[in-house]
Formats: sequence, structure tokens, C-alpha cells
Amino acid sequence: MIEGKLVDLVPFEDDFATYFEQWMNEESWFRARVWERREPHPEDAVKKFIEKMEKNEHGALIGFQTKDGDPIGGVIWDHEWTRVRKVDAILFVGDMRYEGTDEALDGLLMLLRYVFETRGVHRVDAAALAFDEVRIEFYHRAGFSHEGTLRQHVRWDGDYVDLELFGLLEDEWPGYEQITAQLDLQPSGIEPKPKPEKKDEKKNGSGQQPG
Amino acid sequence: MLEGLLVDLIPYGEKCRAQDHRWWNNESVFWSSMGERNIVSRAQVDREHGEWTESLDKAPESGVPFCAQTKDGKPLGYFGINWYSYHHRLANLGASLGEPEYWGGGYGTDALLLIVDYGFEWLDARKIWLGTMGLNQRVLRQMEKVGFTLEARHRAVALADGQWYDEMVYGLLRDEWPGRPAMVEKLGLKAR
Repeated sequence: MIEGKLVDLVPFEDDFATYFEQWMNEESWFRARVWERREPHPEDAVKKFIEKMEKNEHGALIGFQTKDGDPIGGVIWDHEWTRVRKVDAILFVGDMRYEGTDEALDGLLMLLRYVFETRGVHRVDAAALAFDEVRIEFYHRAGFSHEGTLRQHVRWDGDYVDLELFGLLEDEWPGYEQITAQLDLQPSGIEPKPKPEKKDEKKNGSGQQPG
Repeated sequence: MLEGLLVDLIPYGEKCRAQDHRWWNNESVFWSSMGERNIVSRAQVDREHGEWTESLDKAPESGVPFCAQTKDGKPLGYFGINWYSYHHRLANLGASLGEPEYWGGGYGTDALLLIVDYGFEWLDARKIWLGTMGLNQRVLRQMEKVGFTLEARHRAVALADGQWYDEMVYGLLRDEWPGRPAMVEKLGLKAR
């Protein structure tokens, strides 16, 4: 665990894996993963994605949760290019009650803290679909510069939409402590959701377990 | 396969692969990558080529590699679609002309017109795009000549001989492409 102001970074397992079966099929996932084709993700596809990210030598999927342990979503660093010390950064909010909150922003800041201050990257790339205003505002608040617009780049619901590109360099990153102080992050006060039902327990409870 | 005025684009087969070790170790890599300089053995070249071919076989959205050669059959280097997204109808281009004495003679431009035409007319791409480092003035000029628009400038992506350079990302939409014959005429390209 890496502890932040409003959220902590934790391994993407347990409750996260359970919630992810739902999250990975929702709009917010496809907004975050701008390149990904819209298609259904059954349980085995979700599990495979988690396994793929666990084996990924150039990236990782990390969970982020409130200080009370309420899972919010995930952050991904990926395509780490060692020679030029560059990564792609992706934030996705699974529990949409947290969309646009300072907890979600802190998830992005914690990812930046990790890649700049622990992995030693030189540059972080980020992208947003042109209509994804919440994400674009987050990038600006986190200190990214807008570096261009790829015109009509992504197929989305019957149209081709622009892709907005952002970059943040190591010498522009003020440090996690400083940026969180500047942004004066405040908790949203959202009540933690009930823990998800464990699949195995359910099976045991209903007496369907063989033997 | 694709016939131009100064070059043809042929399959990237044995004839071109035989040049890979020399091409991968020369100056062309610096310009076609982000300032990379390779020192690679024949075994490494073979291994990486094998992995690349395998990945093209496996990937549902895969690239289309060609080899550019002169009209009298001298192979010049790689010219192709690095990856194609059927979903977004988007073709990402890559090129590396391994014979420096053919740089600046219109060979690359002729090959570019062929591959752009192929992307639009055969793969039904809606957009063709590519990135190159800002230091690469020859390619920046070529992009503007052929009608590409500079869409993004990624700061300090390319590390070339100890200096950071920006990456310039260019795009060309299908409705901006006048067709290969019109572009050949506009640029005054002629067979020699």
C-alpha cells in the first residue's frame, strides 16, 4: 500500500477483482481506455486482463480506495519505454459516485507520484476523448500541458471523435506533497458502499458446493 | 506489388531481410526511431524479425510491411503500415530507408504516396497518421508537402545524442487526400 491524502494505492485484488466484473463493462472504462473496442467482457475476460497486467513488465494495474477502504477504481501505468523513461497514464473511476471528486483526482496524483518519484520516469503521456471534460479538467489540475488534438481519431458511438493529448515532464512535477497542498484536496463525504458478496460464500450458503 | 515512379513496394521477404543486419546498424535507425542507435548482432536481428513476423500473424489488428526497392531492383528499406485498426479505420505509418545515398532524391516521397494510397484505397482507412522526432527536418518537410497536418507536439519524447527533442505527430484524413495521380502531378514526380 502507498498512502496518499484522500486515497491509498493497493494491489488490484479481492473486492477490486469482484467489482471489476461490473466496472469493465461500463461506460467509464471505455472512456478511460480510449483505444479499446466497445465489447462485452465476461468474467473470464476480466480475469485474463488482470492476469495480463500482473505479468506486464512495462506496466501495472493498481487499485485505489478511500481511507476507509472503499474501492473507487484503478490507475494504470503502461508501455513504459525505458530508454526515454516514458509511460502512459490511465485513470478509471469504477464507482461512479466518485466521478469528478477530489478522491478520483487524488488517484491520478498518486499514480503520478508513483511513476515520477518511485519509477523515475521523465515523461507521462495521457489522452482523453474530446468530450470527456471531467478527465481533461483533471489533467489540467494535475499540471499536464495540452500537446495537441488528433483529429477524428477514435470511433465512438456512430462518430469519429477527436483525441486530446497531454504530457507532463519530470521537471514540471512539483512533488506530491506540494501539489496536494496547492490543490487543497477535500474529501467528498461519500458513504462507503457495502462489501460485495463473495462468490464462494454464496455457493457454500446455497449448498451448491459439490462434496 | 505497388508500382511507383522511382520505387516499387514489394513484400518484405528474403531479399530485404538479407539487408536488415546492415540497415539496423546504420544511421537510418537514428532517424526512423526517436534517436536510437543500434549495435545488434545477426542473431538478434533474426530473433527480433521472427518475433515481429509472429506478432503480425497473431494480431487481429496488424501491420502491413512492405520493402521499397528501386525500379532496377535495389532494396532501399522498410516502408509500411506499422499497425492498422479496423475498428477506428486508422493506419499508423512507419518507414526506414536503409540506404542513405537515396535520401532526398524523391524515393521516400514516391514510396509515401504509394503507401498512403494503399491505406485509403485498399484498407479503407479514414485516417493515416505517423510520428517523427522534431529533429527530422527532412520528414517534416515531406509531411507538409504531401498534405499532412501537424496535430500534436509531444514535448521531450525523443532522446537523440544526449538531447531531448519533441515528437511531431501528423495526420491525413481521407477527404484531404486528392488521390495519388493528383499528388504525383502536384509534386512533379517523374520516372528516371
